[in-house]
Amino acid sequence: MEKPQKTQEEQQSSPQMAAPDGGWGWVVVGSLFVSSALVFGLIRSLGVFFVEFVQYFGESAQAVSWITSIGLAMQQLMSPVSAAASNVYGARPVVMMGGFLSGLGFILASQATSLLHLYLTMGLISGLGWALIFTPTVASVMQYFTLRRSLAMGLGFTGVGLASFAFSPLFQYLVEAYAWRGALLVLGGLSFNMIACGALIRPLGKPKVVVKAENSTKLNKCSSLFSRICEGFELALLSHRGFLTYSVAITLFNAGYFIPYVHLVAHSRHIGFNEYQAAFVISVTGVADIVGRVASGWFSDLGRMRMQHMLVVWTGLLGLSLMLIPVAVVYSGLLVVSVVYGFCAGAMTPLAFAVVPEIVGMERMLGALGLLQLIESIGGLLGAPLSGWLKDYTGMYTLSFIAAGSFLVLGMLVTMTLPYFWSCTAPPPPSPPMKKSQDESIEDGLLKQTLSSNSVPEILCPLDDIPYSDKE
Amino acid sequence: RRSSSLYTCAFSSALRTSRGRRGIIECSGKRPDIYIVTYLKTFNHEKEAVWRSSRCLYRLVPSRGSDSTTSNTEVGRVIISNAAITTSPEVNGQNQTSATLSCNLTNPTFPVKGHYWTNNGKIIDKSETNSDELYIEHEIKKVDYHSAGLYACVFLTEPQVNATIEVKVPPHVVAYKRSENANEKDKAVLTCMSQGYPLPTDWTWYKLKDDESVETAIVNGSDVKYEMKNTPNKTMLYVKDLDINSDMGMYQCQGTNQMGSHSDKIQLRVRSQLAALWPFLGIVAEVIILIAIIFIYEKRRKPDEINDDDDSGSAPLKSNAATNHKDKNVRQRNSN
Repeated sequence: MEKPQKTQEEQQSSPQMAAPDGGWGWVVVGSLFVSSALVFGLIRSLGVFFVEFVQYFGESAQAVSWITSIGLAMQQLMSPVSAAASNVYGARPVVMMGGFLSGLGFILASQATSLLHLYLTMGLISGLGWALIFTPTVASVMQYFTLRRSLAMGLGFTGVGLASFAFSPLFQYLVEAYAWRGALLVLGGLSFNMIACGALIRPLGKPKVVVKAENSTKLNKCSSLFSRICEGFELALLSHRGFLTYSVAITLFNAGYFIPYVHLVAHSRHIGFNEYQAAFVISVTGVADIVGRVASGWFSDLGRMRMQHMLVVWTGLLGLSLMLIPVAVVYSGLLVVSVVYGFCAGAMTPLAFAVVPEIVGMERMLGALGLLQLIESIGGLLGAPLSGWLKDYTGMYTLSFIAAGSFLVLGMLVTMTLPYFWSCTAPPPPSPPMKKSQDESIEDGLLKQTLSSNSVPEILCPLDDIPYSDKE
Repeated sequence: RRSSSLYTCAFSSALRTSRGRRGIIECSGKRPDIYIVTYLKTFNHEKEAVWRSSRCLYRLVPSRGSDSTTSNTEVGRVIISNAAITTSPEVNGQNQTSATLSCNLTNPTFPVKGHYWTNNGKIIDKSETNSDELYIEHEIKKVDYHSAGLYACVFLTEPQVNATIEVKVPPHVVAYKRSENANEKDKAVLTCMSQGYPLPTDWTWYKLKDDESVETAIVNGSDVKYEMKNTPNKTMLYVKDLDINSDMGMYQCQGTNQMGSHSDKIQLRVRSQLAALWPFLGIVAEVIILIAIIFIYEKRRKPDEINDDDDSGSAPLKSNAATNHKDKNVRQRNSN
């Protein structure tokens, strides 16, 4: 996309291009679909490999579960880096590089001779690849949509659910046909498809940092480089109260969210169901997850309830259902609870992301996503090992599930302390670093005439965030 | 019926002197009256089971050095009890399908405050009561590898007394995975685990011929190809340097204990290393083609794209990279 050389006055044109809310946006949603399938759907179905690794390397289940922990931790820790890189280079090259790295990790893992090799390849390398894929893709979808953002996110994330449903039996087949080394090699190839997904993300405008660099005065190149880095990482967000509150809530959610996916299969087998029954429980959970995502995204876009309220509802229900999992000892009971769990887990996901622009504004969304994932990684790093330790200590998974549920309920309570949570109407748009209030009113007035009331706050935000920062 | 009588040396308070140093109470032999000071001479432990408070002589034995001090402080109470528990005999799983374990406590030193049963060290659910019965029973509905173990009845009296009863069955051997897949020239690990009591003392592996009838025993150390690692409840057979033709097939693991033996079978399949390469290359080719298509398609659309994006979009005031001078002017006006 070509742009003319900008003048000083033109700095006010937002680097956020018009959200098309359709058209090529749906292709980007498709890209998110495939990417989330190949990242999170894949991670969730790795249980088949763990059974093999425990036996082949003679290590404990906990040592093997560190592979997923490291991978997820890398995906979240490297998120700000990924967001910053996208702010500098644009989403497309970053996602393509991420796709390559994630495939490379698995290919190298197929030659592993010790568990350490798996930590380094499947954990570090693939984890870094996943980080480079996930955040920019999510951000791109959110840039492409405004009115139907939640629905687009929900649809995009259904990839995870469908993948969990299809990948478990597929991976089982791959391991049987090619042994685990061959299966990992094939998975590496599958992960390369994410390079193609990255290629599909057409940029909507120049990356944010590039725009700022073009517009900045030539006086101070050094400080502009430093401020470029700060802008890229959006460090200013760390002093934003809403952002901090939300990051604590998300950390707690994260501590509980992944636990069932690590332990549900083992728990089902522990109670006495065989491999295929256990796999079916996961499949059923996955289907409920998919339905939950789409339903929640569609319902949230209707605008009946505020996104933050809905988030609280879903996370509360999710925590409750998690605590009920150990209670279900009959197969049908376990299936029912798993369905409820799946639905709530799915319902929560698109909202957890879509609510971010509402809190920090569209302009800072990419950096916010990056930082958020970094902070929430603490939850993931604590959650899975804690649940593993609880299982080793008590011999059963009961306490692990109860701990997971209580983390979610805690997160729900923290969410309730978000600014403007208790008001029935949408909050005023978040204030950007420096803005001129008189300019708002004209644009406000014009917008209100043209757009429906419910979506106004979200559309207002990008305008208010028009950067005037180069006045210094 | 078996019986056991007990002399116990029980200390109900901490072993600490007034100066806070800790010492070791030596209870040599089974009769603690060695350390009982003289004024206990009214006590006759042969004839009665009575509790007496006593002063205990003890010696502080420091970790290094040889000096030790003898003290005269009361450190606790010595309880000499003559309580005995008679138990039902051990249960043999091969002869019985169900069993009732019983314990009969005679001559308790103190009133019994309750009792419970344990299996292999873990308290059995719902077996704890506060009743003061001296004769207690525990029923095992089905004697199998789930219910087998080392049972103990524990009476909550002072001191606590218990007795053990063994419930023995032949082992129950289960393969960790019934079907194993491994790569050529790599190693395969076949694992079997056993449940029940007592745990197997011997593990043997067999390689079965195709019709599963004739067995060849695998002996540890005879062949560099095989290695066995055994623990009482798990056995692992490592088959190294796999060959597609000779190493594929059924393997059988067998566990033996004093009551008998049991076995399970595992199917080992060996896959060629190159087998996975074909689907991998196919997928990589597909990815390259897709990327090529995407970029070519985009290059072809490029001339049209710029115009298209100016028209799209929902919010009228937010527009693209405006090449339009009109828009520039509009914006400048609003900023002042």
